[in-house]
Amino acid sequence: MTTGLTRRTLVQRGAAGITLLSLPGLLAACGGGGGGGGGNEVKDVLRFSNWPLYIDFDEKTKKRPTLDEFTAKTGIKVDYFEDINDNASYFGKIQGPLSQGRGIDRDIIVMTDNSRFPKLLIDKGWVEKLDKSKIPNISNLIDAQQSPSFDPDRSYSLPWQSGMTGIAWNENVTGPVTSVGQLLDDPKLKGKVTMLTEMADSVGLVMLANGDDPSKVTDATFNKAIDRITKAVDSGQIRRFTGNDYAQPLTKGDLAAVVGWSGDAIQLLADNPKLKWELPQDGGMIWTDNMLIPKGGSVPTASTYMDFVYDPTVAAKIAAYVNYVTPVKGAKEALAASDPKTAQNPLIFPDDATLAKTHSFDATALNNETYIAAWQKVLGA
Amino acid sequence: MRVLHRHRWLTPALLLLPGIAWLAIFFLVPLGFLGYQSLQSGSFDTGYSFSWHFANFSDAISSYDTQLIRSFVYAGVATVVALLISYPLVYWIAFRSGRWKNLFLLLIVAPLFVTYLVRTLAWLNILADEGPVVGILRAIHVLGSDGRILATSVAVVAGITYNFLPFMALPLYVSLEQIDPRLLEAAEDLYASKRQAFLRVTLPLSAPGIVAGTLLTFIPAAGDFINAQLLGTPRQFMVGNVIQSKFLELIDYPAAAALSFVLMALILAGLLLYARVVGTERLTG
Amino acid sequence: MRRIRKHLLPAYATLAFLYLLLPIGVVIFFSFNNPTGRFNYVWEGFTFDNWVHWDAVPGIRDAVVTSLQLAAISTIVATAIGTLVALGIVRHRFRGRSLVNVLVFLPMSTPEIVLGASLLTLFLNMRIVTGFVTIFIAHVMFIISYVVVTVKARLIDFDRHLEEAAMDLGANEWVTFRKITLPLLAPAILSAALLGFALSVDDFVITYFVSGGTTTFPLFVWGAARVSVPPQVNVIASAVFLVALLVMAANVVWQIRSGRREDETLPPALPVPEQLPQAVTR
Repeated sequence: MTTGLTRRTLVQRGAAGITLLSLPGLLAACGGGGGGGGGNEVKDVLRFSNWPLYIDFDEKTKKRPTLDEFTAKTGIKVDYFEDINDNASYFGKIQGPLSQGRGIDRDIIVMTDNSRFPKLLIDKGWVEKLDKSKIPNISNLIDAQQSPSFDPDRSYSLPWQSGMTGIAWNENVTGPVTSVGQLLDDPKLKGKVTMLTEMADSVGLVMLANGDDPSKVTDATFNKAIDRITKAVDSGQIRRFTGNDYAQPLTKGDLAAVVGWSGDAIQLLADNPKLKWELPQDGGMIWTDNMLIPKGGSVPTASTYMDFVYDPTVAAKIAAYVNYVTPVKGAKEALAASDPKTAQNPLIFPDDATLAKTHSFDATALNNETYIAAWQKVLGA
Repeated sequence: MRVLHRHRWLTPALLLLPGIAWLAIFFLVPLGFLGYQSLQSGSFDTGYSFSWHFANFSDAISSYDTQLIRSFVYAGVATVVALLISYPLVYWIAFRSGRWKNLFLLLIVAPLFVTYLVRTLAWLNILADEGPVVGILRAIHVLGSDGRILATSVAVVAGITYNFLPFMALPLYVSLEQIDPRLLEAAEDLYASKRQAFLRVTLPLSAPGIVAGTLLTFIPAAGDFINAQLLGTPRQFMVGNVIQSKFLELIDYPAAAALSFVLMALILAGLLLYARVVGTERLTG
Repeated sequence: MRRIRKHLLPAYATLAFLYLLLPIGVVIFFSFNNPTGRFNYVWEGFTFDNWVHWDAVPGIRDAVVTSLQLAAISTIVATAIGTLVALGIVRHRFRGRSLVNVLVFLPMSTPEIVLGASLLTLFLNMRIVTGFVTIFIAHVMFIISYVVVTVKARLIDFDRHLEEAAMDLGANEWVTFRKITLPLLAPAILSAALLGFALSVDDFVITYFVSGGTTTFPLFVWGAARVSVPPQVNVIASAVFLVALLVMAANVVWQIRSGRREDETLPPALPVPEQLPQAVTR
C-alpha cells in the first residue's frame, strides 16, 4: 500500500496548492483594484469583459489577432475575459460592488441595449463617460447607431456588434412566414411557433405588427401587444419562449417558425439550406451590444481601445470572424478584397433599406417595472 | 486520546467543527443577509430599506401558490419515479455485479460530468417531435397523432428525474451494499420466499438509503428552474423560475429572498412530516 | 419460468443503463460531426478533426482544466469534512443534534440563485476577490450536505460489534477507526465523493456568481451557446466521461490482478440477531 504518495504529502500538497492558487487572487486584489482604478493616464493594461466567441480568434496560433495588433500599436496589454453570458446575470454579479461605489476591476464591459441594463447603468451613474477626444474614429459610427434612446449623445457607450431580430422558418415544415401576424394567427403553425424571452424582441415585433412604434411605448400600445401574445400562448399557438435554444428544434422541424436572431441564422443556414430568415414585413428589431466603461475603469485606456476598434480595417477583421452586424462604416469595403463572400452577406452587412426597416425598443419602457412584471407573467413567472 | 475520554463532548465537537464552521461562515451568514433582504421594501431605482416588511412573505405565498404547488408535485413525481427506476438497478449493482460494482456506480454518475446543457440538447434530439421515440409512441397510440413530449409537463418531470437520478441511486446503493447476503440466505433457510425475503429483510434494511435518496432528490428538485426553462412552456414554470425572474429581470431582491424563504420553510415542514412518517431514527440516526 | 426470472434483473439493469447513457451516446456521436456552421445540430459528416483539435475553440481548454481542478480539490475537502460531520451526528448524542441536522439540509433547499448572490455579497464585504478560491469555497459549502446525507445512510445501521471486537483485542479508537470503520465506510465515502465531483463539475448558477473572471466548463458552454455549440464541447464532455470510466476500469483490473478479494474487510461475525428484523418468521 505504500506508494510515493502518503496521506501526509497529499495533504501538504493540497494545502500548498490552495495557497498557491489563492495567492494570485489576493495579489490581484492589491494590484488591479476594486476602487478608484480610474485616473487620467492611459494604463498599460486593459481589462476587457466580453461575451464568449465575440472577437476574432486564430485557431492555428490560438491567439486573438486584433488584440495583439492593439498591443503592438499602443503598447497596452489586454486582459480579455469572456465572462458575460447573459445581461441579467452579469448585472446581478456586478451590481454589488457598483452599488457600493467600488469598481469591478474592468475597463470595458459589453451589454445589450435590448435589455434594461445599459440604461440602468447610465441612470445609476455606474458607468464613466467616454473620452471622445481619444476616439476620433467615432466618426465611423454608422448613422443608424448615432443616437440610441438610452444614450442619445453616445456619451457613455459605443456599439460593439449588432444583430437583427426577425422570423426564421423551416421550409420542410411550412411555406414562407413573412409576418408576425402569420406567426400568431396561422392555424397551420399551431404549436410549432416560439417567441423570444426578450421583451424587447417579442413585444417589439408584435407592436410593429399592430402598427405601433416600439421606440415610443405607451401603456395602450404595450398592453395591446401583450394581450395579443397572451392569446396566442393560451390557445397553444405559441409553444414556448426561448433564448437561442429554438435553434435545434427549428433545425429538426419540431418548430415551423420562430422569432430568431440574424446571427444564429447565418450559422444555421450554412448547415441547412431549408432554413430561411427574414425581417417581418411590418419591420423587425435591431439590438446592439454596447461597450461601456464601468465605474472605476480607466477611461483613457478604454477610449484608446474603442478608437482602435472603430478603424474600418480592424472592424472588418472582427466582423469576418464574429459574423454579426458591424457598426463601423467602411468595414464592408475593407473586407471586400480579402473575403468577398462575407462582405456580400446581407445578414452581416445589411443594406440601408434593410436597416431602415429595423427598430429599437424604447429604453425607458425597458425599465418600467409594471411592463417587466407583465411580461414575466406572460413567460410563466 | 485521554483528553477525548475525559471530556466526552470533545469528540463530537471536533468532528463537527470543520463542517459547522464552513457552513456557518459560508452559508448561514449569506442566509442571514438574505433574511435581511427579505424584509426590505422599496425598488431598485429608489433603493431598498429595511422595514420589517413581512408583506413580502404573504405576497409571495398568495401570488405564487400555483408555482409552489406545481414545484412540489413535479419534485414529488420525479422522486418517486427516480426511486422506482433506481432501486432494481442499484440492487443489481450491489448484489450481482461482482467486482465491477464501482465501475457501474460511476456509470450512473458519469452523465452528470457532461454539462447539463449538452445532455439536455441530446435529449431534445432524442425526443424531437419528428424523432424515433415520439414516432413509436404515436404509433402505439400513447400519444395522439399530433402529440409531442417536449414542451409539456412530462418533459419537465422527465428532465428532473433524469438529472437527479444519481442522487437517488447512490445513497440507495450505500445502504443496499452493506446488507450481508447471508441474511437473505438465512431468511430462505427459514422458509421465506424470495419475495418475502425481499420485503421483510432487504427492503427494511435499505430504508436509510431510501430516505437519504428521496431527500437528496426531492429537496433540490423542488427549487429547480432549468428543466422548466428549457423543456417547458409558461404553464410549467416552477418556483425556481419565479425566483430567477424576480432576482434577475425585475431586480426585486426582497421578493426573491422572501419567496426563497417560503420555499425553504415549506421544504422544512415537509421534512418534519417525513420524519414523523418514517421515524426520526431513519432520518437522523 | 425460473430461467426468465433469473434474467429479468440483468435485463432491467441493461435497459436502465441504456436509458441513462443514451444521451451520452448522442453526445459522443455528435462529437464526430463536421458542421459547416457554428452549431452542431445537423449531422453532416464524420471527422476526427474535433478530437485532434480539441482546443480549437478559444477558452475551452482553460475552462476544462479549471473545472477538473476545482472538482478534485472541492470533492476531497468536502468529502473529508462531510464524513466527519456524519460520524459526529450519528454516533454521538448531544444537545443541538437536530439543529445540526437541519443545518445540513438547508443548503440543498436554498435556490441556487439567491445563495450564489448572497455568497457574492459576503465575499464582497469580506473583501475576498472572486475567482478560483471563492468557487472552491462555494463548492465545498454545497457539497458537504450531500456527503453527510449519503454517508449517514451507511452509518445508521452500521454494525458496531466489529469495532467493539477490535477494541476488546486491544486496539485504541484511532486504530479501530483506521482499520475497521474506514474500510467499511469506504463504499459510502466513495459514493459521496462521486456525487460531490459530479455536483462540482456540473454546477452553473452559484459558480457564475462567485467566479469573478474565472471560467469553468459549464460557464463556458452556457456562455458560448449564444453563438455557437462547437463539436469540441461534445469532445470534451465525452472525454471527461470516457477518461473517468477508463480510470475506474483500470482500477478494477488492477485490483483483480493484484489478487485482492473484492471485499477486503472482515465478514461480519455471525450470528447478529439485532440485524434481523423481528418479522422474519412464518
